[in-house]
Amino acid sequence: MESILDSIGVEIIGVMSPVSICMLLVVLIVYSLSSSNPISTASAPSIRTAANLVYLESPSDSTSQKFEGALLNSLVFVILIAVVTFFLVLLYYYNFTGFLKNYMRFSTFFVLGTMGGSIFLSMIQHFSIPVDSITCFILMFNFTIVGVMSLFSSGVPIFVRQGYMVALGIFVAAWFTNLPEWTTWALLVALALYDLVAVLAPGGPLKILVELAQSRDEELPALVYEARPSVAQNGIVQGRSLDLLVGGVSDSRSVEMQTMSSNNVDRNESQIHANSGYTVIQDTNFGNMEGVQRRDEQARSLSVGFMDERRSSSCSSSEYSTVVGHDTEIVVDEERSPLVDAQETRNGREQMRDGLENSEVSSRGIKLGLGDFVFYSVLVGRAAMYDLMTVYACYLAIISGLGCTLILLSVWRKALPALPISIALGVIFYFLTRLLMEPYIVGTATNLMMF
Amino acid sequence: MTLAAGIGYALLALGPSLSLFISVISKKPFLILTVLSSTLLWLMSLIVLAGVWRAFLPLKSNTWWPFAILILTSVSFQEGLRILFWKVYKRLEDMLDAFADRLAKPRLFLTDKMLIALAGGLGHGVAHAVFFCLSLLTPAFGPATFFVDKCSQLPFFLVSAIIALAFVTIHTFSMVIAFSGYAEGNKVDQYFVPAVHLVAGMVVKALSFTYLRSLSVCFMS
Repeated sequence: MESILDSIGVEIIGVMSPVSICMLLVVLIVYSLSSSNPISTASAPSIRTAANLVYLESPSDSTSQKFEGALLNSLVFVILIAVVTFFLVLLYYYNFTGFLKNYMRFSTFFVLGTMGGSIFLSMIQHFSIPVDSITCFILMFNFTIVGVMSLFSSGVPIFVRQGYMVALGIFVAAWFTNLPEWTTWALLVALALYDLVAVLAPGGPLKILVELAQSRDEELPALVYEARPSVAQNGIVQGRSLDLLVGGVSDSRSVEMQTMSSNNVDRNESQIHANSGYTVIQDTNFGNMEGVQRRDEQARSLSVGFMDERRSSSCSSSEYSTVVGHDTEIVVDEERSPLVDAQETRNGREQMRDGLENSEVSSRGIKLGLGDFVFYSVLVGRAAMYDLMTVYACYLAIISGLGCTLILLSVWRKALPALPISIALGVIFYFLTRLLMEPYIVGTATNLMMF
Repeated sequence: MTLAAGIGYALLALGPSLSLFISVISKKPFLILTVLSSTLLWLMSLIVLAGVWRAFLPLKSNTWWPFAILILTSVSFQEGLRILFWKVYKRLEDMLDAFADRLAKPRLFLTDKMLIALAGGLGHGVAHAVFFCLSLLTPAFGPATFFVDKCSQLPFFLVSAIIALAFVTIHTFSMVIAFSGYAEGNKVDQYFVPAVHLVAGMVVKALSFTYLRSLSVCFMS
């Protein structure tokens, strides 16, 4: 019998590993591209972008000048983002979903094509890969088109979608690392604060967006990384093992912008493992639909008895219900029939509104906004320009901040901003490492003094 | 060429822990989390130590007692941290057992407990190698290497990589020894671990004292 260590923490790792991969690749890109021509990058005129509209940093400026300029830059950038977000929320509120979808498709295409393209081009130049322009163009075009299709249509393997999500994060983050140093730090802090306000404060745009999407049972109109428990590829039934680090058993775990996806009316992917004797209901039901609720109760009474006393009052969703597979007739699989799904949810919406107060809204998997990927990686990439030590310290800080956010998520069970804790920890650790630890470590290690 | 050498040094220091990580740790998510948190703990201990010692740096390199005091304080602080880690682990073990009961799964086996200890130790070891060796190795990836006069056969980076490898091994397995010592109340194991840590630090410093006596820089491209 397999021990409990195998099942605990699967989901946390499911979120942390793409973030880690993203950061690692950004660090590698920053290293390989910035070390290539240190002279020309230092003297290259900094580009004027949306992120430094007001102030162009130059190394000769005084500290206070840089500080003020960086503050102004970040303020302007945050205001810009807030305006755009409000505009998008407004569009979503008035149901211009067609426009939103096309806008997202276009921007994805644009980002993959131009930013990705420029990064590929500089890689090709740096490593002097022999590729002719026509082949390169065709490859880029295919890459971009597959990316857009995989992000916005079902029927593409989730692995490809996740891969493209990470790729998008990498491109944008690698682009952001071109910003001057002070502006980057001010920007990161400002965005973390903005994130805090936008998700938590009443009237914050992201909060409105999430609530709207939840009340409409739709996918969130945003680029969101979805960490699904990868459907057991190698025959192992992978129950949704929430770890106990994440405290109680909550199901609506959502970081940053998140909603339930419209089509997860209890899709039970573990059907596939019917021949393994039992299935694990993966608890993807909206706990708030009457029928589901009842069935859930049933499931719970069938389950082997691990109801937690602490949470028994709270939820209608039982996480670990190992039941005999006869419940699964009602199951609708998302990948196969999204239409039926949407239909069902629409019917269920009436009851859902009634039950909204006292029941859990559950969605499957943890979702992480693309912005979080980007700005984590920007921080690490900026740290990579200083030293390896700061990279490692920042990585650890960000990952532990993400862990804290996930723990809070399971306690509060609502959409949470993923940036503030991680960015705060990351910035603190960066400066601690740079100011305190580096002289110490270098002093001891060059004396070959280790302990 | 030097890039290959740099990667070689890095793998020399971290290769065994990498294979340990891939073959044992990475299959169990909980162990990955343990590695991460223990690395973070070690990093924080280092920051605290650095904050305390910041005022006295840089040390004069011709007397031995400041180095001895530095190593003594650092080792004792980290050994104190190990006891803290053990207390936290003890509480975690109870939670895990309760959780396993709820899930109708078996409680933690002895091997599981040792795996957790191993993961904790690996975190300490990896943090050590990254901060003391990899951060030094950054110049090794560049177009030069660095020799010390006293020993012109062996590059400085290679020496530091080998020492880091030794320390990774000590850190990784002393955690297992210490945990089993705490669990069984075995006094010998409990005192063995800090003793090894301290002796290793002192011996390395004593040996490097002669090795580094005459630091001079010679670059080869």
